[in-house]
Amino acid sequence: MESHPLIICRCEEVTLAELVETAQTYPCTARELKLRTRAGMGCCGGRTCRTLIDQVIQQVTGQAPSHTVSLGYQPPIRPVSFQTIGGQRA
Amino acid sequence: MSQRIDHHPILGSLGDRKQLPFYYNGSVYTAYEGETIAGALLAAGVRTLRVHEEKGTPRGIYCNIGHCYECRVHVDGVPTVRACMTLVQEGMQVNAGSILPTPLKKGGHGA
Amino acid sequence: MIDLLIIGAGPAGLSAAIASARQGLAVRVVDEFYRPGGRLLGQLHEEPDGVWWNGLDEAARLTEEAKHLGVELCCGVSVFHLTQSQNGWVVSTTQGEMIVPLLLIATGASEAAVPVPGWTLPGVMSIGAAQVMTNVQRVRVGQRGVVIGINILSVAISRELQLAGIAVDRMILPSSTTVSGTAGQPQAVMQSLLRVAHLAPSLMIRMGSKVMGSSWMQKLAVSLYPSNGFSMWDIPIQLRTAALEIVGTSQVEGVRIARVATDGSPIAGTEQVIPADFVCIAGGLSPLAELAAIAGCPFAYVPSLGGHVPLHNESMRTPVPGLYVAGNITGIESAKVAMAQGTVAGLSIAKARGKLKNEQPLSDAIQQVKFIRQNATIQFHPDIVAGRALVGQMTAEWIAN
Repeated sequence: MESHPLIICRCEEVTLAELVETAQTYPCTARELKLRTRAGMGCCGGRTCRTLIDQVIQQVTGQAPSHTVSLGYQPPIRPVSFQTIGGQRA
Repeated sequence: MSQRIDHHPILGSLGDRKQLPFYYNGSVYTAYEGETIAGALLAAGVRTLRVHEEKGTPRGIYCNIGHCYECRVHVDGVPTVRACMTLVQEGMQVNAGSILPTPLKKGGHGA
Repeated sequence: MIDLLIIGAGPAGLSAAIASARQGLAVRVVDEFYRPGGRLLGQLHEEPDGVWWNGLDEAARLTEEAKHLGVELCCGVSVFHLTQSQNGWVVSTTQGEMIVPLLLIATGASEAAVPVPGWTLPGVMSIGAAQVMTNVQRVRVGQRGVVIGINILSVAISRELQLAGIAVDRMILPSSTTVSGTAGQPQAVMQSLLRVAHLAPSLMIRMGSKVMGSSWMQKLAVSLYPSNGFSMWDIPIQLRTAALEIVGTSQVEGVRIARVATDGSPIAGTEQVIPADFVCIAGGLSPLAELAAIAGCPFAYVPSLGGHVPLHNESMRTPVPGLYVAGNITGIESAKVAMAQGTVAGLSIAKARGKLKNEQPLSDAIQQVKFIRQNATIQFHPDIVAGRALVGQMTAEWIAN
């Protein structure tokens, strides 16, 4: 039975190893880590992994969490069709 | 064998419920009124609801309350419908979706 | 024309709807689930007095009362955007735009994930997912499974699975990684369980008298992690065993486990694979505050409340005009606290609409939140009161500036 990698972002299948390596290569913010790896940019909008991305940054770069949310939220916060955004009822 | 919990020591027994035939990937399944797509399929032993659009890895429910979108399926042609939030309607056509092409990966010219 | 739109038909949202409708407000509640109740749905545990707390009944009771008062309940509606306008809020939903003067966000919490290799396999789900499937959908998630993550919530839900005839083979820790926090550290997990030891007498009754007589806490503390753990309702709770990987090709087939040292590191030569047809992952809860962020609300990071929470005062008002919050979005606590907060929000909003003739009920409701918090059988975190005070102080400073 093959061994599974440790996936952090389920939507984009980004692994912990990729995130740690990226955070080590580019000591960066959670936002930059997200943009570099696509972790947190999938269908769920990062609801499942955003705190994990924050933890990677804290552990690797030593940045302490602040009162400001590190990964911003952008509308729409649910994946909706253009028709729905245009006001058509689903 | 059905995995429905018809009798529960505290919550009691489920009474007679209307049966609703529906389709998943072209095969017919039976839901009971009030069951979500995810619930009815799990009761029939179906755990894989879709495959990852790029990697093809199998996925089923994860959060079951609409947050994670892992259970998204196509319902009557509409994509990205959460199986955990959607009640089965009689005759509903549910499909798992498939691996999608990724022509923009590796340089954006179909590599 | 509605006075108030409430997003989330859980214990906080429904209680707010009831409180504000009683004062004569026209109220609409939207929720994206197909039925009202939020995370009340599925809750099932025995209270210290031996009476069962059945969240389904509570949800039905609140729903009936809200409907009776003329509250409009819209289920299956998702909100995907909010914008502030001159006269209030424009709320974008899958059922079209809704325009309202006052808005209450009561979206509750989402489950924190503790990733384990193999956790994307079908048959792996969050502990809350298993609760809803079992008690609301009434479908078994499997025959015999493993729960990864030991906390108050996962212990309570494991008991619920067992009540429904689903075997929980054992409860174990996630393996300690960069992202597992303290969930993978045996001592930290034990301490978090011992934190409720001061409530031992009522807790023991709650947890079932069979295994109690003060023995389990003692066993836990004294014999420090017996190799088979200790059992509650015959479910082994193994603080010195961790999940290294969930195994399976197309779905869950088992869990590769190992004994771990007190720091959570695996002990060589102790690995084995145990069969399982489902796995639940329990990482606790964090406030689901995305809509408050979209609305432009400032936040506080308060670990004892579960993470980032929107700033709000004890009247549940945020610094953003016309925006209120209540329930687990303001910090992780029990459904009873959420209900009490909802009542405060409802009265507070009625006051803002000029419909509260007498302010006594509002100050009483604020006191009631504190009373319920103090008398909670289980505190989700020991520093909740301090965390709440910090949020109140930050909110006051924000408004002053």
